[in-house]
Amino acid sequence: MNQFITVIATIVLAPLVGGLLFGIDRRVTARLQGRFGPPILQPFYDLFKLLGKESIAVSRMQFVWIYCYLVLMIASLICLIMQSDFLVLVFLLGFAGVALVLGGFSTKSPYSHFGANRELLQILSYEPVLLLLAVGIYAQNGTFLISAIFSRGEPLLLKLWPLFIAVLYVLTIKMRKSPFDISTSHHAHQEIVKGITTEYSGPFLALYQLAEWYEIVLVLGVVALFWANPLWVGLLIAFGAFLLELVIDNIAARMTARWMVRLSWSVGLVLGIANIAYLYIVKGVF
Amino acid sequence: MTDGMMAIAILLPVVAGFLILAIRNYFARGVVVVSTAVLLIANSIYFASRGPFTYSPPAGFEWATLIAILDYAILITYIVLGFKLRNRLVLIFSATQLVPIFYFEFIMKAHVEVKPAFVVDNLAIVMSMIISIIGSLICIYAIRYMRDHEEHAHLEKSRQSRFLFWLVLFLGAMNGLVFANNLVWLYFFWEVTTLCCFMLISHDKTQIALQNAARALWMNATGGTAFILAIIYLYSTQGGSSALSVQNIVGGSVHSAAMLLPVALLCFTGCTKAAQMPFQGWLLGAMVAPTPVSALLHSSTMVKAGVYLVLRLAPAYAGTYVSTAVAIVGAFTFFGTSALAISQTTGKRVLAYSTIANLGLIMACAGINTPLSIAAAILLIIFHAISKGLLFLCAGTIEHRIWSREIEDMEGLAAKAPLVTLITAVGMLSMFLPPFGMLLGKWIAIEAAYKVPLAAVFFVLASTLTIVFWTKWLGRLLQVMPKLGWPLEKLSPSYSVPLWTLFIGIFAVGFGVGPLYQYFISSATGNVIAGASSIVASNWSGIVLTSSAAKAASTVGSFPVWALYLVLGIALLLPMLFFGLKPTQLRQVYLCGEQSGGTDTDEWLAEADIKTKFILGGYYFQATLGEKALNPWVNTVAILLLAVMIGCGVISK
Repeated sequence: MNQFITVIATIVLAPLVGGLLFGIDRRVTARLQGRFGPPILQPFYDLFKLLGKESIAVSRMQFVWIYCYLVLMIASLICLIMQSDFLVLVFLLGFAGVALVLGGFSTKSPYSHFGANRELLQILSYEPVLLLLAVGIYAQNGTFLISAIFSRGEPLLLKLWPLFIAVLYVLTIKMRKSPFDISTSHHAHQEIVKGITTEYSGPFLALYQLAEWYEIVLVLGVVALFWANPLWVGLLIAFGAFLLELVIDNIAARMTARWMVRLSWSVGLVLGIANIAYLYIVKGVF
Repeated sequence: MTDGMMAIAILLPVVAGFLILAIRNYFARGVVVVSTAVLLIANSIYFASRGPFTYSPPAGFEWATLIAILDYAILITYIVLGFKLRNRLVLIFSATQLVPIFYFEFIMKAHVEVKPAFVVDNLAIVMSMIISIIGSLICIYAIRYMRDHEEHAHLEKSRQSRFLFWLVLFLGAMNGLVFANNLVWLYFFWEVTTLCCFMLISHDKTQIALQNAARALWMNATGGTAFILAIIYLYSTQGGSSALSVQNIVGGSVHSAAMLLPVALLCFTGCTKAAQMPFQGWLLGAMVAPTPVSALLHSSTMVKAGVYLVLRLAPAYAGTYVSTAVAIVGAFTFFGTSALAISQTTGKRVLAYSTIANLGLIMACAGINTPLSIAAAILLIIFHAISKGLLFLCAGTIEHRIWSREIEDMEGLAAKAPLVTLITAVGMLSMFLPPFGMLLGKWIAIEAAYKVPLAAVFFVLASTLTIVFWTKWLGRLLQVMPKLGWPLEKLSPSYSVPLWTLFIGIFAVGFGVGPLYQYFISSATGNVIAGASSIVASNWSGIVLTSSAAKAASTVGSFPVWALYLVLGIALLLPMLFFGLKPTQLRQVYLCGEQSGGTDTDEWLAEADIKTKFILGGYYFQATLGEKALNPWVNTVAILLLAVMIGCGVISK
């Protein structure tokens, strides 16, 4: 029964937090750009407006996939809240990404297609880092369970700081911020139409936005895992990382997908692999 | 009773094969194939319910002499083929088998008698079920497929009988291979599968088919050579016949450091048959054959024999450098071929690379050699056989619909053939996403890889690359114009029965993996390594892994099977069933307002308002990930790794 309440609470509360974060995002970004910015609650107004619009679409499968994306995002967030297997969480998140890409592919639209291909490259860039993080957590804790991260006294950040740096750019990719807002962007100024979301409108676009809200709570939650004991430190770190992303977004220009993959597969993976190798050497496995 | 069971498993396919060869009537031949299939399936299920036993054929018949004669017959056939095809490599590597075997029998005057000749344990039963069930379904599929194939090729004289003969014979040889305990008999069955493989690949007799069949032959013959050398080495240094019993080799009763070299050689043999890099060429070439051949080679037979051998021998090299080397060889193949798969434009080639990659993963699991990884290897063998068998049958069905194997030609298949697309899509998703079995296997593999961290890193990278090539391909199938009402296509029962059976199989085996593991696979794992039962707990709701430290056993990971299928149901099944669009809701795609017509036209007004069709294509990254760019590198590394693997066998003694 307790678990059931947790699940319901997650499903209800997470989008409230996510929506607020998006509101803060818009406000902070506006200030950084010398504008006043919309009210903090603006994302909620937008969502309700979208939900009220006429539902039009270009393909049936597109709805199936975007809805699948939302459900899987919620499922991986539940995985985090229930403190289950981290590797399962990463695989679920990967499935969510695949669903979004397939949504983009399932119509013959050039812009949506562009976006889908780029989203796939984004998965290629962040997925190995998250999987390496799982391996790193195992190397440190001897288990893949998230609950063990909470029961351990010593924060992950002390031993896994190189992976933390790598996770920060995963956060940039996941939040669709410059320089990695490649498949679609929150700003109109550097976009090929609207990338992967070009063909979504009205209630279908609302589903996508809702999924994004869950997603930001999820990835910030993963960042908070680095200092799970006491959790408020981790949450502060996560919020700090969130603000950092906003600053980076406003001082960086969008880069190419190819550059992103190269950077991730060189710097990111080297950080992750070196980190894990170090843990193994310290523990004397070799 | 056991006499009959073994006879049905091994000899029935041979008898049925000759019967098929004699029958010229399409319908009668079909009846023979279907009834053989039914018998084989029923028999394999009976094996499972009866449980393990050992078996030696009744005395009074010189089975050993028969097998020796057939050995020579096969090798002489290779030599004849070598001359016919004018292929020097085939000649060289058949000679390197023929000469040692001649030396073994006539100069060393070896007298090999191993009792029991066959050991039917749970692992062998699992393998036999895969071979008998999935293999038989593929044979059923081939009945109609080959008729369509010949109609399309306008053949004057039907060669369907010959094709089905080799196909059915293959199943018998594979059953013999997994049951055999006598290494010399195992070698014989090994060579029969190589011969069947050659005959099936070369079936169409085109220039390219003959060339690729020859490549398959010589590459597998290198493995055969290593096999026979291992036999001679074991026989001469380990004291005769008893060293040639697989039971003794893995049981440790002839265990000594000197045994490591022959075991490493046998692992090499396994690598050739499982098409590990640098031997991937033969399996890629094999796709020129009619699709049932690919389906059979990739799912239930041939390549699975390679991983079976390595897995079976795991206890013999446990805890040595050979083991680590096997893990790295497999993990590297998993990584390298997953990268290469991204650049492939032909559907069957992507499937082939994916097979090699997953075999690499299984191989790596055998090399990691912990109870957990061995459990992962067996699960992966099962799930891969189902999913890949299905995907090849889908590829064949698609090919007979659009008469092309190119991924770009499959664009928008969802609108043309929704049923086949649905089955294919599920097959693809089942290869790399939760909650399906392949991912479960991968999950256990990553959780088990702590002993060989380098392998874990390769697993991580390869898993990511896997996501890319499957999603990319699936995306091409789904790309459709805004239009409602896709008419369902009609399929011949010879196509639809195997397709739907495997389709249901994915879900049945995947959803029931908990109990299935507990009652069945766990004991198969126990045949290879002890201790799996104490660290893997499974039931309907999921699989929980605990650390092997007995004192404070703590949970290492948990895979909630039941919950994940529920998520899948809510996420995909629900909208598929209940979401519909009305025609009035459809709009044209965004083309900057330059469309030339209604919603379902893919033309736009180009320069000077000329109607132009717009074309979308997939990404293939051939400059960075193509075979030309990657092959020199990955093959070099793979050759070095194989050399290290055999080197470890030499040094460790």
